[in-house]
Amino acid sequence: MRRNRTILMTLAALALAAFTAAAAAQGSKTTVTFWDAYSSDGPEVKQLETVIIPAFEKAHPDITVKDVTIPYDNLHQKLITAVAGAQLPDLVRSDIIWVPELANLGVLAPLDQAMPDFKTFSSDVFSGPLATNFWKGHYYGLPLDTNTRIWVYDPATLKALGLSGPPQTFAQLRSMSATAKEQGVDLYAESGTGGWNILPWIWSNGGRLTNDSYTKATGYLNGPKSVAAVQMLVDLYKAGEMPNIIVNANGGLGTYDGINQHKYASMLDGPWAFAIFSSSYPSATLAGSPVPAGPGGSVSVVGGEDIVLTQQSRHKEAALTFLRYMLGTFAQRQMAEAGQMPVLKSSEGWLPTIHPYYATYLEQIATARPRTPTPKWPQIDQVLTNDIAKAFQGSETVQQALDDAAHQIDGLLQ
Amino acid sequence: MLRTRSTASSSSGSSGARVASPRRPLSSRRRREVRDAYLFLAPGFLLFALTILYPIVRAFQISLFHWAIVPGAASAFVGLANYAHALHDPVFWRALGNTGFYMAITVPTQMALGLAAAVLLDARMPARGLYRTLYYLPVVTSWVVVSLVFRYLFITDGGLVNWVLHDNLHLISYDVNWLGARWTAMIVLGILGTWKGIGWSMVIFLAALQGVPRVLHEAAAVDGARAWARFRAVSLPAIRPVVAFVTVILVIGGFNVFISVFLVTNGGPFDQTQVLLTYMYREAFSFLDFGYGSAISFILTLIVFALALVQLRLFRRPAGSA
Repeated sequence: MRRNRTILMTLAALALAAFTAAAAAQGSKTTVTFWDAYSSDGPEVKQLETVIIPAFEKAHPDITVKDVTIPYDNLHQKLITAVAGAQLPDLVRSDIIWVPELANLGVLAPLDQAMPDFKTFSSDVFSGPLATNFWKGHYYGLPLDTNTRIWVYDPATLKALGLSGPPQTFAQLRSMSATAKEQGVDLYAESGTGGWNILPWIWSNGGRLTNDSYTKATGYLNGPKSVAAVQMLVDLYKAGEMPNIIVNANGGLGTYDGINQHKYASMLDGPWAFAIFSSSYPSATLAGSPVPAGPGGSVSVVGGEDIVLTQQSRHKEAALTFLRYMLGTFAQRQMAEAGQMPVLKSSEGWLPTIHPYYATYLEQIATARPRTPTPKWPQIDQVLTNDIAKAFQGSETVQQALDDAAHQIDGLLQ
Repeated sequence: MLRTRSTASSSSGSSGARVASPRRPLSSRRRREVRDAYLFLAPGFLLFALTILYPIVRAFQISLFHWAIVPGAASAFVGLANYAHALHDPVFWRALGNTGFYMAITVPTQMALGLAAAVLLDARMPARGLYRTLYYLPVVTSWVVVSLVFRYLFITDGGLVNWVLHDNLHLISYDVNWLGARWTAMIVLGILGTWKGIGWSMVIFLAALQGVPRVLHEAAAVDGARAWARFRAVSLPAIRPVVAFVTVILVIGGFNVFISVFLVTNGGPFDQTQVLLTYMYREAFSFLDFGYGSAISFILTLIVFALALVQLRLFRRPAGSA
């Protein structure tokens, strides 16, 4: 009996010791949660999970990175729900257009205060993408990747249409669209009428969305140059030279499927298109050239993602260690191979050696402009989407549609 | 004793219950019974309070504020301003109109076709089980899957519907942009909702029809009633309470349409096909205007509640007194 008790007590002591050791091991390892919308259609998620994070964890054995990949279309809603429930992760790879909104809600840590070496990193990155992190006197993040839209086309389709190359100017766009239409192909497919879709045409025509201080749209969005740019697209659409997905993205063949099936010849898109095509449509070949130039030049729209630290993060130091790592040459280069354009100034030297199409993106991004940095961007974008679609559908003239949109956006910018 | 209990439990609305008062002091046994009854009710009521009542009250509270979503942040009280905004918002009215339209086309068709299918499957026929399963299959299929399938069916260029109607049968002279205009898109959504819902009403009607005593049919047949007369005079009155139930549930379901609209048109183009819930969702989750979103959802709750009350009252009238 007594021996039994001794054995029992020994076992209990051993169990306790094992439990304590396990708890200690657990305690010494910090887990950083990172939400992102990297694409699983292309190689991005794989690159993150099999190369970038393992290399980080090897170099930092005390930190575990738990990445949660959320489809882009759901990420904004997921972030908002998490804000309301105080369940935000440590780090978020946020679309640049959401940073002012999240900063305005007070859920992001101002990185220029939270990160003692912020300046070292901010001086290493391109100034345009860096500016997307600025809100009311502070930087709330650092750029993680950048991108813009260029003219992406399938050279085989153009050749079959008897066209020698992509359109370089607005005039060529119009004439080539007519040629393509005669052969049952849409030269240019666009899947929406929001800012991301339409602004390159407005800017390239010399038009504007707002004034420089982002306080007024009337006189800019409904000015003659902006109206003429939208009118050119509406004319193409009404001539049957653009597919109807510009009015209703769900109502027709998507841009990728259309290009793969040689029903569309071109689209405006970011560098991920090349990576996604090579994995999802391996038989298609893509090439890129700058957005056709109008009187204002060839001006595209800046996209990309910033990496932000949340106020409620309980592991800010570990999170910042991972953030710094993601801005290092290794991680930036690895993601460049997966189709994400790096933000490091030093990348200009090595980027085109990874994929030749990056050269066009670098050229385009030099003149690309950001969308209006305001927490109200989602509403502004909805106004653009709705009003410009009315012009395409013909229920309003372009001038009427843009007058109405400018008036509504004025109210949102107040 | 048994009679007392059944009178008390069916008290609401029936005139017989009001005769039960004047009140007498309860015996200790009766008190115990009442206590036990409440105890049995408590878990269900708690669940109901937690998942239904609390969100309704909370939504109403939020709808009175310009709601700050960050926990702990101050929200500005705006009274009924969010409701006033809804009354002056053309998109809200359009969404309400679309929701009503969806309900108006899906409820009668689901009921008529569901009842027709139930009558057919109530008769003796070969492979009856197989047909019942086939009709019910859309009900158990995911909304997401069928919404995406419908979206592809109705694509303008290359969709199966246009291919059949235009390229194959030449019934239409051009490819219809089904999802690009308000009413055609709403009709597509209505077809989807009806197709998915017929099986459900069929099952309920079938169960009710099987409960109609055969002797009544036989007696009517002996009296010379033909099939249609038997259906009208025997089956239909017998399943009247079930018709009421199905109507109320379908109307509520019609007003709560969300997933199909969200996935097929997402309210577009330019808010032409918004329904109340997609509009509420966008205002709350895209534009962070949770106060306005809550006001919209509270208005929807009131409408559904009022409609359900009206229908129950209409159906409660005994047959023939209308």
